[in-house]
Amino acid sequence: MKRVFISAAVLATIAFAACNSGSQHEANADSSAAVATTPAATVTGDIKTTGAVNTIVDDYLKIKDALANDNDADAAAAGKALAAAVAAADKSGFTPEQQQIFAANEAELKEHGEHISQNTGNIEHQREHFAEMSEDVMELVKTFGGGRTLYKGHCPMYNNNKGADWLTTTSEVKNPYMGAKMLACGSVEELSK
Amino acid sequence: MRMAKMILLLLLLIVIGIQFIRPARNRQPGPFPADISQVYALPSGVQQLLQQACYDCHSNQTHYPWYASVQPAGWFLQQHVSAGRRDLNFHEFAAYSAKRKQRKLKHMREQLISGRMPPDSYKWLHPEARLTTVQRDSVIRWIDSVLQ
Repeated sequence: MKRVFISAAVLATIAFAACNSGSQHEANADSSAAVATTPAATVTGDIKTTGAVNTIVDDYLKIKDALANDNDADAAAAGKALAAAVAAADKSGFTPEQQQIFAANEAELKEHGEHISQNTGNIEHQREHFAEMSEDVMELVKTFGGGRTLYKGHCPMYNNNKGADWLTTTSEVKNPYMGAKMLACGSVEELSK
Repeated sequence: MRMAKMILLLLLLIVIGIQFIRPARNRQPGPFPADISQVYALPSGVQQLLQQACYDCHSNQTHYPWYASVQPAGWFLQQHVSAGRRDLNFHEFAAYSAKRKQRKLKHMREQLISGRMPPDSYKWLHPEARLTTVQRDSVIRWIDSVLQ
């Protein structure tokens, strides 16, 4: 019964967004309305979905903390957990858009998790995988929601000044790419709720 | 003395015994509709280089050397092939997501430039995988043309 209600709510939201996009000169107002309603639909609409991605974000944040603390063993353990979470993710409640985004990142996330787990003793290689993993998790969070307030950190110096981002739960900079070398180096901005 | 003989005999039995434990081989019959050549217009030279220097570990069709039949060498070899195929399989390339394709090409480029691939342990017994600078650059140029 609850599922039916939720599905109806999601459908109503989509229908609302679709109807609104009809008229031309209200285009600006429409897109902001769509942006405002979509996250609400994903957060309240699907507990299962949030569950799978929530676990992935949990494990990702553990890797992030471990790398900021220069702890390769903890990063490896969390990497293994993340790969397992990706493999075990229950996709039955995903919307078509969520399915598409998950499929685009699934193999990559799993591989990064596995490689981080296999590279205890080579933290720089773990960080290389973490940089791409961060891009993947960011893409998931954009579509699924992060289940918490998330900030985007940026390290401009990483990878010969090409730079890399990471996700974090605080506005304080604890740089996972530099660790103790330059822990407070970088910038942070609020990403999502 | 009799003790030494017994130990030798036991070792011999073990060496013979493990010859019967053979890992499954990576020899799929093909054709391979998801091969990388179906995704990009590969210059024929580049395609040949990939096949001769990479496909043993990065495809569904490994050409096994004679020592793969001798254990435990065959076990180690099979582990390498499995790990290689998990990370990059040219025969499954078309099935990768757009992002994964791009990243794989980017990583190939990095590995070629750093010299990590093909690995030295492989090149040692596979002279055809020892790419000359010209050959290597032709692959890199092709990757650059795809990633533009």
